Amino acid sequence: MNIKEIAKKAGVSVATVSRVLNHPENVAEETKQRIREVMEESDYTPNWFARGLNMKKTNTLGLIIPDILNPEYMEVAKGVEDVAQQMDYTILMCSCENDVEKERKYIDIFIKRRIDGIVLISSLLNDKDIEEVRKRDIPVVAIGENQELTCETAMIKIDCRNAAYMAVNHIIKNGFRDIAIIYGSTPFKENKEKLEGYISALKAEKIDINKEHIVETGNSAEDGYLAAKKLIKSPNPPRAIFASSDMLAIGIVACMRDCEVKVPEEMAVVGFDNIQMSKLIEPKLTTVDKPMHKMGVVGARLLFDIIDRKNSDESMKMPEIMLQCKLKVRKSCGHKERIGEMF
Amino acid sequence: MKTEFLGFELKNPVIIAAGPWNRDGKSIKKAFESGAAAAVTETIVSDTISDVCPKIAFDGMGAENIRLYSDIQVEGWKNEMQIAKSGGGVVIASITAHTPSELAYLAIKLESFGADAIEINLSSPMGESIEVFASNPECVYNMTKAVVKSIKIPVMVKLSQNTTNISEVAKAAKQAGCRAVSAINTIRCILGVDIETMKPCLSTYGGYSGVPIRPIGLASVAAVSQAVDIPVCGVGGIENFKNVLEYISLGASAVQVGTAVMLHGHKIIEKILSDLEKWSQEKNIHNVSEIRGLALKNLKSFEDIRFEPNVCDSDSGIKCDDGCIKCINSCIYSAIKKNGDDVIIEKSRCTGCGLCNFICPAAKLKLTW
Repeated sequence: MNIKEIAKKAGVSVATVSRVLNHPENVAEETKQRIREVMEESDYTPNWFARGLNMKKTNTLGLIIPDILNPEYMEVAKGVEDVAQQMDYTILMCSCENDVEKERKYIDIFIKRRIDGIVLISSLLNDKDIEEVRKRDIPVVAIGENQELTCETAMIKIDCRNAAYMAVNHIIKNGFRDIAIIYGSTPFKENKEKLEGYISALKAEKIDINKEHIVETGNSAEDGYLAAKKLIKSPNPPRAIFASSDMLAIGIVACMRDCEVKVPEEMAVVGFDNIQMSKLIEPKLTTVDKPMHKMGVVGARLLFDIIDRKNSDESMKMPEIMLQCKLKVRKSCGHKERIGEMF
Repeated sequence: MKTEFLGFELKNPVIIAAGPWNRDGKSIKKAFESGAAAAVTETIVSDTISDVCPKIAFDGMGAENIRLYSDIQVEGWKNEMQIAKSGGGVVIASITAHTPSELAYLAIKLESFGADAIEINLSSPMGESIEVFASNPECVYNMTKAVVKSIKIPVMVKLSQNTTNISEVAKAAKQAGCRAVSAINTIRCILGVDIETMKPCLSTYGGYSGVPIRPIGLASVAAVSQAVDIPVCGVGGIENFKNVLEYISLGASAVQVGTAVMLHGHKIIEKILSDLEKWSQEKNIHNVSEIRGLALKNLKSFEDIRFEPNVCDSDSGIKCDDGCIKCINSCIYSAIKKNGDDVIIEKSRCTGCGLCNFICPAAKLKLTW
């Protein structure tokens, strides 16, 4: 049954039925009641696509994540969804598997499906791609940085350089000086910053940089495992490893267990992200607490602000919101004071 | 007794402090029904944190809480703010965040929902780092500045005793452009330990509030009032109208009451306000500005305290047959003795320390010279 038939059955115009669906506050209580009863009897649900065309909005957000198997991105996605739900929006989530072509394809699909806004997590898109979307008047918010972007984009970021500095400095304060870094290939920009933070923390304590202790690898726990294995088999193995993600760190801890190297006594390990798994492994992982859920929440909130302002005349400056990372001290770093773990 | 605060003319100086008693629109309306001129929402954050229980403990004097922030997401506050505002009082939104841009964004949202003012809470001692943000003047400056330049409504900064010099923090907040400061937030504490189970009262460090922190609050308000010329809101341990006047006399333009509402309900606000009204009628004082800071003049530097050879008056002995020997027990100089029903003070031993004046339940001992 379609809207015309409902109107006929209820003895009102199509416009009145439409108002009941979209602006019920403008319909007399009695009429509203009658039309709703007819709808219920006829088991009527509005045609979602037709409605989108008519209302010029679909109450749908597009969300692109780099890798659906990575728990870090799922926590961000959960944050986006938590806000979207309250705003009565549905999310179309796509995983582009760190492939920029796939990401572009999904963007194209989003545009064709007339979604109301797009959230990009650690996006591989460049300035030109984002400009393309903006030209179509579709609001975009980027959460986390992967590429160097210069165009004005609403963005949620974290200070990876500072966070990595803090983590490596903590390892040094725990008495380690031979510290390696294992970092993943993506997100490219953030990991580059983590490397810079690592180098400046070592320099600040006048520790020589050992190029063999700087290892780039993939992004999975397996990659972390293999990179760590190579390090401990090298002629000068480090005494501590800082990993650019918890997934890598979990792989590193697994490798140490298999190689019978004790963590943290013989090898301190510090991760990044604070995914839920990091407090479940043994020893519990010291890591940088990245506010993943909050990044999703604030990112979605920002997107709704831009959607809201779309029809108003005042131009909106695309804000950048920086969120704080905190060191989460647990056991894998060899820290001895309990007070550090409390806060 | 009216007051001017944060650019508003308040019908009285009593504001209900941030806390779970102001957790939503309905409870804030209740605050206004009790007569409070303004209310501060429970602290609102970007992302709500899962609640814990138990979260509040009380030892008969002070309360410890590990209750963390509002559990209503920012989106929900749009509606709650409308309900709160329908109560007719001034609604101040308390917010906290960890970076200037995050805090400013929250302030923008709450302003758009209709908050009349913002209170920046950078000093909750629970669940944050060992040093709260409000320990550090530079940090307070950056956070406050980001908020002040983003919104039009007035901004107040809540200060903490968890710092080495609260006056410096107040100066930084003023420099950043806030219209007022409030002092003090709760103080990091562990209320006690059950020695049978060896468990602390609550399972993590909490914030201490209530009557025992009032002297600390009073000293903080005095110190801040002497350092900056923006209005100060006194917070900490207020439970009667005299406490309100104490804060005002030390420089506060308004006060906040929190723990007393938690322990006694909103009727304590009605009582404070009616007693305050009665007092102000008797004294013919109608505006807080008439008495604000009067006690500050009597607050001296140590070297300005005039030497007066005060000792306890004892020429004839003091009649006391209560069987109470509190004064004798507490005289560290052994100057008080009992002779039958008389309390005798040996003038040569009395140093005029003054403690017995506070100890004597019948107020029979006085210093003179």
